Order: sequence, then structure tokens, then C-alpha cells
Amino acid sequence: MMRFLLTGGSACGKSSYAEKLARRLPAPHYYLAAMQPFGEESLARIARHQKQRAGMGFQTIERYTDIVGVDLPERGTLLLECLCNLTANELYDEAGAGQQALAAILRGVARLEAQCEHIVVVTNDVGSDGAEYDNMVLEYIDVLGELNRRLAAQYDHVYELCCGLPCVLKGELW
Amino acid sequence: MILIVGAKAAGKLDYLTQSLGYAEEAIADAVLDDRPALVNLQEIVKVDPQHCLGLLPELLRKEVVACNEVGSGVIPISNADTEWREATGRLCNALACQADQVLRIVCGIPTVLK
Repeated sequence: MMRFLLTGGSACGKSSYAEKLARRLPAPHYYLAAMQPFGEESLARIARHQKQRAGMGFQTIERYTDIVGVDLPERGTLLLECLCNLTANELYDEAGAGQQALAAILRGVARLEAQCEHIVVVTNDVGSDGAEYDNMVLEYIDVLGELNRRLAAQYDHVYELCCGLPCVLKGELW
Repeated sequence: MILIVGAKAAGKLDYLTQSLGYAEEAIADAVLDDRPALVNLQEIVKVDPQHCLGLLPELLRKEVVACNEVGSGVIPISNADTEWREATGRLCNALACQADQVLRIVCGIPTVLK
């Protein structure tokens, strides 16, 4: 089994790279979409991602919280898009795990890993803007940061994307 | 001196304690004292951004200095915030010039920049 973590800032090409990477790994290809379709901006982003992966043969599973309950029909390659949405959902959605968000996501990811051959997880770098935030946002940055560190420590390959190009932080280019 | 930069919550403190072996008592948090390691340099810069380059000699005597990357994202509307971000960046440039080693931490993983 190979596990990949992809990070980077907004619009650095993570999603598109992740899709191509996942497609090079064995089928069936599952796409776990965590972004909730609220508001124009998310709808536009979801539409762009759907268009981007149309015809690539992904089976899309929409799941916004409690990913531990996702059952994959067969063993294949899973693309999880993305930890930043999942973290926000678990922390702030009514259906989310709230203060147990970190544990819920780690447990969920571990169960997904157990059900597939390979996993590609997309996350985001949200802590480099130096902006002043309230405690709610600071908590989000801390939880996402810890998730990133925990997964990166276990995973085989960690890439930071820049202009669509992968910089290898750990492992090797695939 | 080792300079460590990285996003907030990227794993700089873990690197200091786990990889470099510093005890928590040896790590000063946003305060200049005689401890060998310092984290959250950006908070010290905030107190007086205009004169932060004056801190260079004292910072260079440290064994390790860690600073958040604060310069990405939209340029702030407030002049004070802009000034702070730029001062932090310039101070890190100056430190990196004289540092023995410069590391950037992403997702807990260090990349050697120098």
C-alpha cells in the first residue's frame, strides 16, 4: 500500500495533480468529496472539480462528516479531497464531531486506508498568511496543522505543490 | 544558529523538541532571554517592527530561532499589519544570511534551505 499526502496553498494545482496521480494507481478509483455545496463559491469550485475529473472514471462519494462510516465497495485507490473541508465540517457543522474533530478524522482516514490499496489525501497550507484571527479560526489552523503532521509522519510520499509542480518533501516522485 | 521557518502549526516546536532534543524549559516563547532556543519570533517583531533589525546580534547568539511564515496571503489593509509582516520577512532574510543552517518545515517535514 502507498499513501500520499499533497499540500500547498490555494490554486497551486493540488487537486488536478492528485487526480492524475490517483488515476495512475490501480482501479477502481474513488473520489471522496468533502466540500459542502453551500454558497456560490463552493458550487463553482465543485463544478470545476467535477468538470476536471469528468471522464476520468472516478466514483464520487460525497461525505461531509463522519468519514469513518464510508464503505468502499471494492479495494482500489481513494482520493480524499480534502482535509481542509473535512476539518471545517467536523469542527463547525452541526453533524460534526466538534471538539473531537481531530480524533474523528484520524479514525476515519485509518478506516479508509484499511479498505483500499492506495490513498491520496489532499490538504492545504492555511497557516502562512500572518493574519489575525479569532480563536475559532486559530483552532481550525491548529487542528488542520496537527492532522497534516500526523499523516505526513506516517505516509510514504508527501509533496508540496507549486504552480502545479510537485516538490518532494518525503518519499519519491510517483 | 539554526533558523527554522514554517507556517503556523506546521511542526516547528515538535522539530525543536523531538528532532533537536530541546527540553521545553530551554525554549523561550516570544520572549528574549538567555535560553538557547526561541520560538514565535514574529510576535517579538510585532512589538516594534521598525527597529527589529536591532535584535540581530542577540538572535544570532541563540542556538535555534523559529519564526512563523507570515507573508503569504493577501496584503493586509492595515499599515501596521503590513509593516509587521514585512519587518518579519526582512529580519528572517537577515538571519538566514548569517545562519549556519536554515530549515523550512511543512507538515512536520524539514527541508534544508541552507
